[in-house]
Amino acid sequence: MTHTRRQFIGTIGAATALIGAPSILRAQAQGTFRIGALCPVTGSGSPFGSGMQKMIIAAAEAVNAAGGAAGRKIEIVSEDTQTSPQAAVLAAKKLIDVNKVQAVLGTWSSGVSLAVVPLTNDANIILMNTSGAPALSVPPANAKGLSYRFQATNDRFGRAFAEICEKEGFKRPATMAFNNASGVGNTEGFRKAWEAKGHKVVESVVYEPNQPTYRSELQKVLAANPDVIVTGSYLADTTIIMREWYQSGQPVKWVMPGWAASPDLVKAVGPDVVEGIISVDSVSNENAPSYKAYDEAYRKATGQPGQSNVYAAMTWDMVHAVALAIEAANGTDMAAINAKIREVSNPAGQQVYTYAEAKEALKKGKINFEGASSVLDFDQYGDVTPDFGVFFIEGGQLNRRYVVKI
Amino acid sequence: MLTYILFMLVVGSIYALLAQSLMLSWGLAGLVNLGLAGFFAVGAYASAMLTTWEQAPILVGVSVAVLAGGLAGLLVCFSTLRLRDDYLAIVTLGFAEIVRIVASNEVWLTGGTDGISGVPVMIARDTGVWFHLGTLLITVAAVILVYVLQRRLLASPWGRALRAVREDQTVASVAGKSIVRFKAQAFSLAAAIAGLAGALYGHYTSYVAPDQFQPLITIYIFLAVTAGGNARPAGAVLGAYLLVAFLEATRFLAEIAPGVTALQAAALREIAVGIGLVIVLTLRPDGLLPERSQKAPAS
Repeated sequence: MTHTRRQFIGTIGAATALIGAPSILRAQAQGTFRIGALCPVTGSGSPFGSGMQKMIIAAAEAVNAAGGAAGRKIEIVSEDTQTSPQAAVLAAKKLIDVNKVQAVLGTWSSGVSLAVVPLTNDANIILMNTSGAPALSVPPANAKGLSYRFQATNDRFGRAFAEICEKEGFKRPATMAFNNASGVGNTEGFRKAWEAKGHKVVESVVYEPNQPTYRSELQKVLAANPDVIVTGSYLADTTIIMREWYQSGQPVKWVMPGWAASPDLVKAVGPDVVEGIISVDSVSNENAPSYKAYDEAYRKATGQPGQSNVYAAMTWDMVHAVALAIEAANGTDMAAINAKIREVSNPAGQQVYTYAEAKEALKKGKINFEGASSVLDFDQYGDVTPDFGVFFIEGGQLNRRYVVKI
Repeated sequence: MLTYILFMLVVGSIYALLAQSLMLSWGLAGLVNLGLAGFFAVGAYASAMLTTWEQAPILVGVSVAVLAGGLAGLLVCFSTLRLRDDYLAIVTLGFAEIVRIVASNEVWLTGGTDGISGVPVMIARDTGVWFHLGTLLITVAAVILVYVLQRRLLASPWGRALRAVREDQTVASVAGKSIVRFKAQAFSLAAAIAGLAGALYGHYTSYVAPDQFQPLITIYIFLAVTAGGNARPAGAVLGAYLLVAFLEATRFLAEIAPGVTALQAAALREIAVGIGLVIVLTLRPDGLLPERSQKAPAS
């Protein structure tokens, strides 16, 4: 059997034509508003990405069940960022130009959001992310005001950490940060806020991701004899750090972001190790009816409770915010929709929690959509300003003691 | 659809430059260069820092990127003079990681993990399709330039000597060729080409960050060069464009595959890339365009 180059190229050509055809047909559909779900299905964001994507789809179903937005059905096209800026840019370009999406929702890591935002700005469409990097708020990234952030900025997390340390009476804090925009943003935000209060940080360590051990970094921090260590870390590295710290036997308190000090961490290292750790997270709007609707959808789609994935609650809210803005703008003109996003989410107005309810209320007057992830009020930079819940891990349970407002 | 295709062609052209860089150092000089992503990053950062923060003209930025890439290549080459094969591969891989980790830690120099946003572009972004088309023309011109240069080098006595070094260092040095000089020249030139690719990439996507220079990109280029033919410039270029076409095609294939979840679709894409390489290497072990043996020049 011989194979020629011509045959090979011919096969590739035929395959390309075959794949190309349906996408051209798809791009013709009328009467729909197409949204791109660009979530980290694989890579380091994978514990959250699938759930985020499923909630975008579920929220679109809820919108469509209530008759769509401005008479149009919401259609979702999904792509995977692979949690890599390179791959995300290619995927975003495909969503924007081939699928003609009019909004891109669900980018997770800061690097990915920063890489994708030039493309969405070029196309004059909305980007909604769950990233923490402060750079996303201002030009050049958000030069056109089309980018919205559903997660508290790392700066805000840092300020909340400083409030908590002061309230708990800590005197000698040290910091440990995972070296990416989000991890360092947390601890730098803390340092700024803490020094503004006239105190000092005794030691700051930034560590590289994906190490089998963090013993030397940990020793450096512990050598400064801190009474509390504030981290900007993730689950995998925190698991290792916790084990190694427990072995060291040196008593110290920990303040961590909620995505690191989660029930999964308790499961991974055992309740004895993590006893007394303070876990800080932006408060999901847990008592709101919108949270109940989200929780129900999340359980149905994944079999897990809604609180296991705070980012999924954010993507659920993203679809609601966009759909309500379309409904309020009564059309698909992007400038008009963008102008309505704050109007439907921020106060004043009638507080509403589900899409069907909001759509009805919108006929009568101004609404204020309260999301599942937060009350969803955007400032002039397109950032939400959530409150922070302070949880103490006690006997393997995360118990919320109080709420910090900044 | 059009701008999407143009976008992919620009990315393909950037990869084609990287593939030619790898072809020169690996295919011709026999120096396994797993540090490609590092030189790519050096070029991208050099140009992005100059043009974004110092407001230097893009042409200056790109020139400095080429120089910086070449210098980095020289540095790596001289620090690895006595290494070949696996050992060189490991050291160059380490170099790429050093560049990435320095870039993410030296915040004063590189902006750290936030990266550099708003890198100026070569053609104004608000010109729509012309932005992509213009950038494509520039990158294709760069690919052609490098291609012609490589063809010339290959046909020259220098190219023959380089291949002699690759085949047998001892024989080459017995014939009076300075091994060190040839290696250093080839490696440094290859690194300069990778630097050029990095600069053009930064000026197209407007964003440069350490995350973009993961070792995966080196592996992709190795795939492209292996599939295309690792000792012919045309093979490297063809391999790079085919790789991008293939990677993107798997995206659409995964979409029309019935009954798979998002997670499975992502895994399917990765499987397809692996199978693709196995098929190409089974059918064409020397790549699509294998090396031609050159006749000795009539004298």
